Amino acid sequence: MDALAALWDGAFGSAFAIWSATLVRATPLLLLGLAVALAFRAGLLNIGAEGQLLMGAVGASAAALSLGTAPRAIVVLAMLAAGATGGALWSGIAAWLKRRFGVLEVISTIMLNFIAAALVSWLVRGPLQEPTRIYPQSSTFSASAHWPFLIPGQRLHLGFAIGVVLALVLWWWFERTAGGFRVRAVGAGARAAASAGGVDVASTVMRVFLVSGAIAGIAGAAEVGGVTWALYEGLSPGYGYTAIAVALLARLDPRWIIATSIFFGALEAGAAAMQRDAQVPAVVVQIVVALVVLGVLAVTALRDKQMAQRLAVDAE
Amino acid sequence: MVKLLRLFVIIHTVLLATACGTKTSGNDGAFRVALLTPGPISDQAWNSSAYKGLERIRDSLGAEISHIQTKTPAEFEENFRQYGAKGYDLVIGHGFEFQDAAQRVGPEYPNTIYVTTGGSGTGPNIAALSFAFDEPSFFAGIAAASVSQNGVMAVLGGTELPPVKSSFAAFEAGARSVRPDIQILTAFIGNWDDAAAGKEQALALMSRRADVIFQNADAAGLGAFQAVRERGKAWIIGANADQNQVAPEVTLGSVVIDLPHAFLLVAREVQDGSFTPRVVHLDTKSDVVRWVPNPSVQVLSKMVTDHIDGLRAQLIAGTFTLPMASAP
Repeated sequence: MDALAALWDGAFGSAFAIWSATLVRATPLLLLGLAVALAFRAGLLNIGAEGQLLMGAVGASAAALSLGTAPRAIVVLAMLAAGATGGALWSGIAAWLKRRFGVLEVISTIMLNFIAAALVSWLVRGPLQEPTRIYPQSSTFSASAHWPFLIPGQRLHLGFAIGVVLALVLWWWFERTAGGFRVRAVGAGARAAASAGGVDVASTVMRVFLVSGAIAGIAGAAEVGGVTWALYEGLSPGYGYTAIAVALLARLDPRWIIATSIFFGALEAGAAAMQRDAQVPAVVVQIVVALVVLGVLAVTALRDKQMAQRLAVDAE
Repeated sequence: MVKLLRLFVIIHTVLLATACGTKTSGNDGAFRVALLTPGPISDQAWNSSAYKGLERIRDSLGAEISHIQTKTPAEFEENFRQYGAKGYDLVIGHGFEFQDAAQRVGPEYPNTIYVTTGGSGTGPNIAALSFAFDEPSFFAGIAAASVSQNGVMAVLGGTELPPVKSSFAAFEAGARSVRPDIQILTAFIGNWDDAAAGKEQALALMSRRADVIFQNADAAGLGAFQAVRERGKAWIIGANADQNQVAPEVTLGSVVIDLPHAFLLVAREVQDGSFTPRVVHLDTKSDVVRWVPNPSVQVLSKMVTDHIDGLRAQLIAGTFTLPMASAP
């Protein structure tokens, strides 16, 4: 009970827990969840959000370090652009491999994740290393590359706002525009979309892949700009993989991804508090977190089943 | 959505109520110490000996302790803040990688002292522990060279971190000081927790005729012990903690940092208020780092151990310095 209270306290127990822990951790999950959902909706199994996040972080870090003390608005915008480009470049490789050679994106994106991690490790020991050349990390960005905080005195940063806006835009685009419909059609059945709908499947897939990577890249930019203010190896504890769960739990609905990303952010923040305040060992914490996720999945699945039964009864 | 919100509020109230009821520990004047480790405390090396240090602080100084395993720089910072906000007296970030987080968070919580093991950053309430780990690594190199039959040895690290690289350089210098022609292979596993990968690397090194492996890879390094134990005909050297009992029959010795001793030194100063923020240098002279030959195998000749003991005495007296630049 103590442990569960700590879990709750660490996630929602104080203003600090909500605005500086839970939502900060939810930010990359939100953006990556959107990236994953967009790709999945088009039938693309983009498992590469992790690598695209890292490349976005690399792009944004390079921009921040080279612009130095230019005005903040310019630096932040440049970081956003560079982050999105870095992510899109990385997903673009997988998209090109798929188009040119028919390489399954599941395989190529996973492999690209490893390459991205190795590339970051090399960069922080090479071109982007801090000037004393001792520690494997970049130097700390100047103040103009620190993304603005949303609430004075709390850690929540611009990245979260971008995520929420993107979620709403994506939802609107999926539900209300022809482009969004085409993407959904390709996901539902590529051959049907091509023959009956006249959709150019190949280029739709290409574009979705690039945009998905760009959004994941923005997550990387937000992480270095809003939280760490420097490029490190081991920047992500596997956000890109958690994001798949985030997107699937929300059934790929961008609005719900806001909720599920906060749920996972809260779990992680709460898990840390369990270790700190209740002295629960890290391994046990991971088990508890997994059980909570399984519980939520079971409940939603059960509700779906009941709903289906009710519908079936109504139909009769 | 509304239903969800209502549920949320109910859970919140219930849990807060129980939390208030059970929470008795707080700011009741107890000395409170926290430890952040970058890896699992089951690694029988860097992290587990830090946790032993934390326990030693609890047992010797009556401190209230807390530990958390952290992965990312974002988590380092968040947890430094949480401990600061809770009024901990001493917060130890176990590795140089915590120093940026300490620099950022330190000024916000002036009543908490932040110490990083490794690193060089200091501030009004920020200190760093620096270990002369290359001194015992040098001695390990001498001992290793004396038992190598193939004239080929290997160093096996987790990832290329500054203290690891300088320790390997010292090991090599030590080996060459007695056998200038010895060949030394270098390999890194790429992480600190994949024991299977550690085993693979060790097997690969042995197949390239290395017959002494100096590993420094924490939980991943345990795989290297396993490999040497299965394959035999090679010696392995432990790092960070006394790992002589991990695989006693094939372990030549361990290059040890006595973290419990180091932590206790610092915590005692913090508790009685005499601590001054600085880079605390801990070396052979302060007996925090040492080369510990494995007592269960007697392969080192008296000549070798005498040579090492002699150098050690000279090092403490200040008449001998390692033939290489020291690590930061």
